[in-house]
Amino acid sequence: MNAPLIWIILPLFVSIVLWFLKERSQLVIWLASGFCLLLAFLAWRVPVDSLVQLGPISFTISSTLTFLGRSFILAASNSAFLILIYLIGAFWLFGSIAAGVPNTFVPLGLALISLLVAALAVQPFLYAALLIEMAVLLSIPMLVPPGKTAGQGVIRYLIFQTLALPFILLAGWAAAGVEANPTDQRLLIQAVVLLGLGFALWLAVFPFYTWVPLLAGEAHPYVAGFVLSLLPTVVILLMLDFLNAFTWLRVYPLVPEVLQLVGSLMVITGGLWSAFQRDLSRLFGYAVIMESGFSLLAISLGNQAGLQVLTASFLPRLLALGLWALSLSIIGKQGFVDFDSLAGLLHRMPFTAVGFLLAYFSLGGLPLLAGFPMREILLEGVAQHNITVAFWTLIGNLGFLACGFRILAVLVKSNEKTWKIQEKWTQIVLLIGGGMALFLVGIYPRIILSGALNLLRAFAHLV
Amino acid sequence: MIFQQLNVIPVILLMGSSLSILISQRWRYTLISLAVQYLAVFWLVALVWPVGLAAIKLVVGLMAGALIGSLQPSDELVEEKEASISGRIFRSLAAGLIWLVVFSIAPGLMDWFPAQPVILWGGLILVGMGLLQLGMTTRPLRIIVGLLTVISGFEILYASVESSILVAGLLAMINLGIGLTGAYLLAGPAMKDLS
Repeated sequence: MNAPLIWIILPLFVSIVLWFLKERSQLVIWLASGFCLLLAFLAWRVPVDSLVQLGPISFTISSTLTFLGRSFILAASNSAFLILIYLIGAFWLFGSIAAGVPNTFVPLGLALISLLVAALAVQPFLYAALLIEMAVLLSIPMLVPPGKTAGQGVIRYLIFQTLALPFILLAGWAAAGVEANPTDQRLLIQAVVLLGLGFALWLAVFPFYTWVPLLAGEAHPYVAGFVLSLLPTVVILLMLDFLNAFTWLRVYPLVPEVLQLVGSLMVITGGLWSAFQRDLSRLFGYAVIMESGFSLLAISLGNQAGLQVLTASFLPRLLALGLWALSLSIIGKQGFVDFDSLAGLLHRMPFTAVGFLLAYFSLGGLPLLAGFPMREILLEGVAQHNITVAFWTLIGNLGFLACGFRILAVLVKSNEKTWKIQEKWTQIVLLIGGGMALFLVGIYPRIILSGALNLLRAFAHLV
Repeated sequence: MIFQQLNVIPVILLMGSSLSILISQRWRYTLISLAVQYLAVFWLVALVWPVGLAAIKLVVGLMAGALIGSLQPSDELVEEKEASISGRIFRSLAAGLIWLVVFSIAPGLMDWFPAQPVILWGGLILVGMGLLQLGMTTRPLRIIVGLLTVISGFEILYASVESSILVAGLLAMINLGIGLTGAYLLAGPAMKDLS
């Protein structure tokens, strides 16, 4: 028995089984989300590489699976990210019960999660590029369900993610060269540039992010939300893995500066474009861009506080994106996604409208909501490094918030005297649960800080 | 060995086939050109890899092309309206510029990338032509063929620095995956009954 078998192969196998059951969508959702919860629980409770005693039976779960001379390693230090990934999986897969997604979503989603875990586990990790590309290819049928035509966003997503593959693989080759000969400056520059371009394409970094709002506007909001929240999270973890593994990359003087510049540009442009946006789905794309920008800014701080902010932001971000995507799915079913059709939504669908606003303002970093504590710490950290960057980042954030207040004004504008509740009970339960979680994390941020520290255990050289 | 002696031929084949893909208006011609392109890719990779291993590139490329061809809907036989002659001339000129850039920068790149000149030419031509194709169209067939072209170019270059069987296998899976995705994108709109 080994850990990759439990957390990679088994979910892949279960996703294949669920594919054949996909017509019974409710059952599949319950099974898949329950299975993800079970895997998260196992990652929390089952020790890897230690003796496990179950009554008279004792066994050891090895951390390594060797395949054709390469290894998939899920050590005890990786348990925190396994818990995170499978909790995210359970959250998104269970939420699909109220989002009205195509029935291919759950089996493909579970397979996608297992491929992304494999990408984080594989050694040497240049192979992660190949696994992430497989995950991207697998996500296409989710984003373009049968009967639909692929739009510009999906096509560009496929192109940009695929173009990242050569850069990462070549960076892996250059990195091996640098390891062998650390004094070769030319090879060092080559490795850094190739790696930078690969990650820029993966993370949809400025100026490669045009596909994000397009994709969010074209695909089912919930499916787009799942892909746009899971993929950047895994890529960020992979980036930390690279930084952790390569000393020459960690100490390269331009890396923090470039990360800071690119991250702030993403926040500024994403925030300012969103201020003029009138389509809620596309706005979701800009929110994702801004969040990736904030992640890069956190890494650019180059200290433990920055990394702690980064990892502690994962949960609030995913909660908010999930709630936003769910609200958009519910609103989208009624055919309202642009500003003009949203007028008075608060009176017609109060839970959805409030859920949407909470998610939006949490991502905007409004006080009392989950996004605020980490945003505040991050901006303080950035300001200590470079006050100009902090100022412009704040301007971008304000642009995003300004759009939020515009939406609020539109949602409450109504001549109706009566209130209607058009949501189903499952939707109401999930919306209330999500909203309360955002408040809870906002008021008690310490809940997530210890988890964030555990997540950083996998990156011993960074902390 | 014959591959070494005639190593400029695959570069010429690549130039011709990638140009044909760029200006062709019929999907059958595009796929035939893609097959020729993979033959040339195999030839170049065989310069640095054992022939048996290099043959993976040819087999996988042909399979990817076959996947795309088999799911091309019948109403798309005439792929798009005949473009004007000026459009074709424009594309050919753009291709000419790519070749010019490739042959100009290849000698300088040899200091950075340890590969034979023909491998650099072949790889860079395919990467350039693939990117050109990706930038000039929004049609799924052309996009997928463009992606396969870029990846093929990269595979030629990468073959000279990495000869791992696992990488070859995984790249083959990626190529097949792109082909399958292309087939899905082409046939997807007609698969309404499955949704």
